[in-house]
Amino acid sequence: MAEDLVLDTAIRDWVLIPLSVVMVLIGVLRYFVSKLMRSSQVPDSKIVREGQVIVRARNLRAAANYIPAKSFRARKVYFNNEENGLLHVPKGQAQNAQAQMFSDPNMAMDMMKKNLSMIIPQTLTFAWVNFFFSGFVAAKIPFPLTQRFRSMLQNGIDLSTVDVSYVSSRSCHR
Amino acid sequence: MVTKTEETELNRLEIQVDNGGGGAWEYLCLVRKLKVRRSDKVLKHGLSILNDPKKRSNLGPEEWTLYEQVAVAAMDCQCLDVAKDCIKVLQKRFPESKRVGRLEGLLLESKGSWAEAEKAYSSLLEENSFDQVVLKRRVAMAKAQGNMSGAIELLNKYLETFMADHDAWRELAEIYVSLQMYKQAAYCYEELILSQPTVPLYHLAYAEVLYTLGGLENLQTAKKYYASTIDLTGGKNTRALFGICLCTSAIGQLTKGRNKEEKESPELHSLAATALEKIYKQRAPTKLPLLNSALKGLKI
Repeated sequence: MAEDLVLDTAIRDWVLIPLSVVMVLIGVLRYFVSKLMRSSQVPDSKIVREGQVIVRARNLRAAANYIPAKSFRARKVYFNNEENGLLHVPKGQAQNAQAQMFSDPNMAMDMMKKNLSMIIPQTLTFAWVNFFFSGFVAAKIPFPLTQRFRSMLQNGIDLSTVDVSYVSSRSCHR
Repeated sequence: MVTKTEETELNRLEIQVDNGGGGAWEYLCLVRKLKVRRSDKVLKHGLSILNDPKKRSNLGPEEWTLYEQVAVAAMDCQCLDVAKDCIKVLQKRFPESKRVGRLEGLLLESKGSWAEAEKAYSSLLEENSFDQVVLKRRVAMAKAQGNMSGAIELLNKYLETFMADHDAWRELAEIYVSLQMYKQAAYCYEELILSQPTVPLYHLAYAEVLYTLGGLENLQTAKKYYASTIDLTGGKNTRALFGICLCTSAIGQLTKGRNKEEKESPELHSLAATALEKIYKQRAPTKLPLLNSALKGLKI
């Protein structure tokens, strides 16, 4: 059923505009908070070196035609030598990135801090919006949508007859 | 590398500022961005801005960057008092800053007190052992004191960690050439060519090192690199053209006794000679007879 629900202009004034303003402000706040909480990282020797080695190896591959064959071979051996080649990782020792991330204490701390700074504002805003703005239709999307989007866009409304183009206020926030 | 448009813009601003027109701040910003070394002009115009309190307050937070720039320029021109004043102002504003610490080390270096500068730099390195600028300053100090082998050692250690820093490779290559360690210099130039294959400067330098090393194989490779330099510069590089002629004649001399199966075509040599004559006719017609006699002497 595609009935036309007439939306009160009061909804627009008191819901949409404050909601969007609040979202923007929270985004800005989050940015500043994360900037403050970010600890200055002392570059780790291995990581810096690895990054540079990769750049050098990439240059070697890209511009290999520009140097004499002998020097190219010498450099290739330098990188791939069995005993002490820079890029040679003996089988079985290569850790995948995930394990490395958790074993490095500094990086784990950083990740946790970042996650926290994301989670707390999210929870607060969600509770606040829920309290103030639940239960009514806030906007209408101009193009038609399928039923699949119903759960996404009509979060607080429990009627199944409302057209999916109408978005509830809770879904605006999400 | 500075591009052509940037160069013309820089020159235009320089002329404008020198003749009393405005735009000193834009000029200084451009110099800072392009990292060119115009210390006397920077000093003059920077000081004129800093000594005028109204212009200084117009800058806002950029004032401190200007202080830093003027301090470095003053040290380059040996006006150490000016530098000391600037650094004092910066110290008052940013007491525990590493950037100001670097400037202090630089001041000690310019005064010639090497031991104290070394101490200052080591203390900075203790806080952050991967500070590229401080590590490079140590190399510069060793070089200024004439201790080339120490400079080489420090630079090699630096490059072990930061091997993608092409400025450092270039510095190392020049040090090696000055010490006549040509094989190592050749390795450095190869590194440079790998990282920036379209810069003709490195091809030319590599060709010259190979030519200096001598030996048939090196001469043939050198000829190839002179040719690639000509290719990259569109035929305007006279040094590369001369290089081709010299290489061809040197190869000819080395292969004189052997059978001529591998004789390289003389086209390249004659083409290079013709190009050289054309360039000389355009730019220095008085020297044309000199060129002709030199080329005749080289004929295989």
